[in-house]
Amino acid sequence: MATTETVDVVMPQMGVSVSEGTITKWLKQEGEQVEADEPLLEISTDKVDTEVPSPGSGTLTQIFVQEGATVDVGTKLAVIGGEGADGASSTDDVPEPATAQAAAESAAVSDAAATPPTTDTVEEATPAPAAASETTEPSSTNGKTFVSPVVAKIASEHGVDPSQVQGTGRGGRVTKKDILNFIESGGKTAAPAQPEPQTQAPSAPAPAAKEAPTPAAAPAPSQPGESFEPMTAMRKGIAEHMRGSLDTSAHVTSAIEVDMSRVSAIRAKLKKEYQQSYGVNPTYLIFVARAAAETLREYPWINGEIRGDQIVTRSYINLGFAVELQDGKGLIVPVVKNAETLNLLGMAKAVTDIAQRARDKKLLPDEVQGGTFTITNPGGYGTFHGTPVISQPQAAILGTYAVVKRPWVVQDELGEDVIAVRPIMNLTLTYDHRLVDGALAGRFLRDLREKLETWDESAY
Amino acid sequence: MAELTYLQAISDGLRTEMRRDKRVFVIGEDVGVYGGAFKVTLGFQEEFGHWRVMDAPLAETAIVGACTGAAMMGLRPVAEMQFADFISCAWDHLVTVAAKQRYRAGTPVPITVRLPSGGGFSGGPFHSQNPESSFAHIPGLKCVCPATPEDAKGLLISAIEDPNPVLYFEHKHLYRRIKGEVPEERYTVPLGKARTHREGSDISLITWGAMVYTAEEAAKQLDDDGVSVEIIDLRTVMPWDKTAVLESARKTSKVLVLHEDTRTGGFGAEIAATVAEEAFEDLDAPVRRIAAPDTPVPFSPPLEKAFIPQVEDVTKGLRELAEY
Amino acid sequence: MAIAREAEPLGSLKEVREAGLDREDLLGVYRNMLMTRGIEERGHILYRQGKIPGSFYTGRGNEAGSVGVATAMGADDVGTPLHRDMGVHIVRGVEPWRIFAQYMGRADGPTKGRDGNVHMADSKLGLIAMVSHLPAMLPVAVGCALAFRIREEKRVAVGWFGEGASARGDCHEAMTLAGVRKLPMVFVCDNNQWAYSTPTHLEFATGHVADRADSYGFEGVVVDGTDVLAVYREASRAIEKARAGGGPTLIESVTLRMEGHAVHDDAFYVPKEMFEKWAENDPIERFRTWLRENADLSDDEEDEISAGIKKALNDGLKRAEESPLPDPSTLTEGVYATPEDLDTPHHK
Repeated sequence: MATTETVDVVMPQMGVSVSEGTITKWLKQEGEQVEADEPLLEISTDKVDTEVPSPGSGTLTQIFVQEGATVDVGTKLAVIGGEGADGASSTDDVPEPATAQAAAESAAVSDAAATPPTTDTVEEATPAPAAASETTEPSSTNGKTFVSPVVAKIASEHGVDPSQVQGTGRGGRVTKKDILNFIESGGKTAAPAQPEPQTQAPSAPAPAAKEAPTPAAAPAPSQPGESFEPMTAMRKGIAEHMRGSLDTSAHVTSAIEVDMSRVSAIRAKLKKEYQQSYGVNPTYLIFVARAAAETLREYPWINGEIRGDQIVTRSYINLGFAVELQDGKGLIVPVVKNAETLNLLGMAKAVTDIAQRARDKKLLPDEVQGGTFTITNPGGYGTFHGTPVISQPQAAILGTYAVVKRPWVVQDELGEDVIAVRPIMNLTLTYDHRLVDGALAGRFLRDLREKLETWDESAY
Repeated sequence: MAELTYLQAISDGLRTEMRRDKRVFVIGEDVGVYGGAFKVTLGFQEEFGHWRVMDAPLAETAIVGACTGAAMMGLRPVAEMQFADFISCAWDHLVTVAAKQRYRAGTPVPITVRLPSGGGFSGGPFHSQNPESSFAHIPGLKCVCPATPEDAKGLLISAIEDPNPVLYFEHKHLYRRIKGEVPEERYTVPLGKARTHREGSDISLITWGAMVYTAEEAAKQLDDDGVSVEIIDLRTVMPWDKTAVLESARKTSKVLVLHEDTRTGGFGAEIAATVAEEAFEDLDAPVRRIAAPDTPVPFSPPLEKAFIPQVEDVTKGLRELAEY
Repeated sequence: MAIAREAEPLGSLKEVREAGLDREDLLGVYRNMLMTRGIEERGHILYRQGKIPGSFYTGRGNEAGSVGVATAMGADDVGTPLHRDMGVHIVRGVEPWRIFAQYMGRADGPTKGRDGNVHMADSKLGLIAMVSHLPAMLPVAVGCALAFRIREEKRVAVGWFGEGASARGDCHEAMTLAGVRKLPMVFVCDNNQWAYSTPTHLEFATGHVADRADSYGFEGVVVDGTDVLAVYREASRAIEKARAGGGPTLIESVTLRMEGHAVHDDAFYVPKEMFEKWAENDPIERFRTWLRENADLSDDEEDEISAGIKKALNDGLKRAEESPLPDPSTLTEGVYATPEDLDTPHHK
């Protein structure tokens, strides 16, 4: 007879599919003595009605479930033994040691977790639970390089380089969602942010760019009338790049006015032929690009780059063109490679093609990389001046603006100054003063103007 | 519509079909006076008589073999195995005779074999198995595994109506635990059509039978993580709804197959292989399987719990896929 | 010591008439026995000519057993004959050309080339195709009888098995179910004394297989399986008893396997004397002698019968050889039945 020990009476499982039972009658009342195996109560289930023999000897200290009630199999119905009427509380004590132990263990665990782990332990800790499970098969621990079939397919369909996409999957793997978000946001501008690997150029700009966002880490709370939209990956890329460029280069802008009369006349002459035969338009931009490519051959530093403490110059000119995406919420800079080899028609075709594919999101990853000089053309909206930001790590960017008819002082055939109406375009060269001095920039702009104003049809 | 348990829905389907079609008869151990080990046919003998609700000798070979013969003579037998596990005793008659008769001799064998299957109640090695994959592998047999009361009724009627041998796996754990609205009239649920138990966009969870509920619990937990899980209830394992599975796989690009049967050679392997073959380019992660380990079903509760896939196992698998 | 009843041979034409056969019937039985042997002999030739793929089995020596039982069956009765029971297919009216087409795996055989040998049956003639797993057809035959009983039809099912397969559980389960439900069922054991190479005393320990019937609650009969008339009489009795609601009977027909288990088996294990004795008891020769002695079978009649058989076989073979081999593109067709398949008299 163990009055200090308690025995629970539970609803038995009267068959494999039985989930609950109903108490039809208690054969003993609280306070009564009961012997083990003596009938204690009667129950009814879907399958049978039966007596439940007492699981132990002692006083029926408390009944928890009354006659008529239906409860799940395993429910505690009563307790036998313990210290009289307060026995119930003593049964409550039963699980405590286990709980206390568990609590102690979990406390120990959280203590351990609270210790700041080293980077190494964090990285090791993540895959460890997975490895312990036999059903887990992480196919690659090198998530950064592994491209899943669907990501590869999407990348190829949209002309995206998956390595340009920020991965959020295991080990930084690019997930389907990542690449879809990237494309959704027109993410190809992220590409110019990734120039050739700067193995020998651990220069200051990179850390500076990284540190820049830190002060902005705590955004201001929202105010009435404000609405929010998440920054797309492309927007973030542009933001980072622009800030980084200003933090890197010493931006200076020089401007020059160009009389486009000759270009305008040639353009009018060529327009029909170009459109009918080649489906392209000889825009002013094409002339400027062609002339710029020609001029850059004589100014290798403007087509160059500072890499570490070296100056890089090149035998080729890769012309980047800033293209606005349709929604006005992003831009991309496709590159015409070896622009120095193209004549006017070639340039027209190349620029038309690349701009169209940029808008259609069909550029190949290679086509947004490797620019050596960039032309931006905000003049379409009538602006006559600007100070664009250099696309890193280039040395300069040429801005082209609206062609506007202006009163212009020219000399007549007698050598007299007269005022004439001429189509004038402003050009700006924004250059990195670390490499390009003002005089050099001035000479470049002068030569460029010269080529445009005296356009030699046979030469171009 | 009435709210019925899964078990009542099976009874209802069987009774509906027996009232409609005189060719339907029931044979099995203790199905008559006793109403079946699980009481599916309780009261049937009173209504239909002892030649249409027939207590058979303890002879599974004779039960299924006789059903095959009676079916060839134009009846629509419904055999009850007391437990799905005992179907091994009638293997020959399903696999050797019934399954092949149409193909080689042109004779259809429209029989239904009801198989109370599954574990979760300490039934031990011989009262807990889920042998559907063994039979899904046999050309000529069909395998049905309903999860809801509504499907249980509609699929049973379809099984009886079908001109082929159909194994109807009814999960014992669902018998009295699962309730649902069931139309009172006769209706069928087509064999070979999956049901979207829950729509989602991030992971496709393919399962059937009692695991549908395990999957549902797990999916709810994943909601809190912001991961949207789609549950496809296959409903019939053979023929299985490849189209629905591939469609879901292509949508989510991540697939987890869950079953209570053991892992190696389980039907999940077929699904995983098919997804890999036919939706490879749409996958964003390896296809995962969660299944029982390759052991017999153990008896003691902690062992059995470790054997049957639990909600935690599924949430873990889903999380790993989500994070992949 | 035998428990089963041992059937007496039929002596005179009078007794035969009492058993329900007139002279035309008797000549028909003889013709069917000759046709049975003729088909299997042609099969041997075709096999040696390389025209039959796989293996080849015959029932040489069992013509009396198979033809005798089948002759006793009613038109609406059904049966599950085995590979020694070609005579059943012949009696039920399966045309020889279809059997040759089956042998040769042609598209017009009963199984369209999907199964070979005697693994065939025409369900319209009340037969169900056997499987190799013997005696798996017994529970199936019992199921047919069960269907008849449920629908209260006056039809009987006949299930064949061999003495070897009597060792398997299917046999026991089928007889148990048929016994407890008193089903209209006749079990026919072709005891040809060899299960491949295993003799009877290693297959069962009772005197006769038929002795077991008593333990299932029905009658067992042992009959000389080389005596077509005795077999017919016992089968008739059993079938009509079953039809009248008297329950099953187990008939053990002690018969001969005058060849090896199959064409690849030279049966070296069978004592030479046994083959010699079998040759003396050849059921066809035995019945021919009886017909000449008791039913005035004349030389002219014999010649006419032989010529008729020969022509039927020649025509049948020719037609079978004209049947194409199955088209591989049909391989996956028909694994599953369609509702249209159930549009038969059985499944009304």
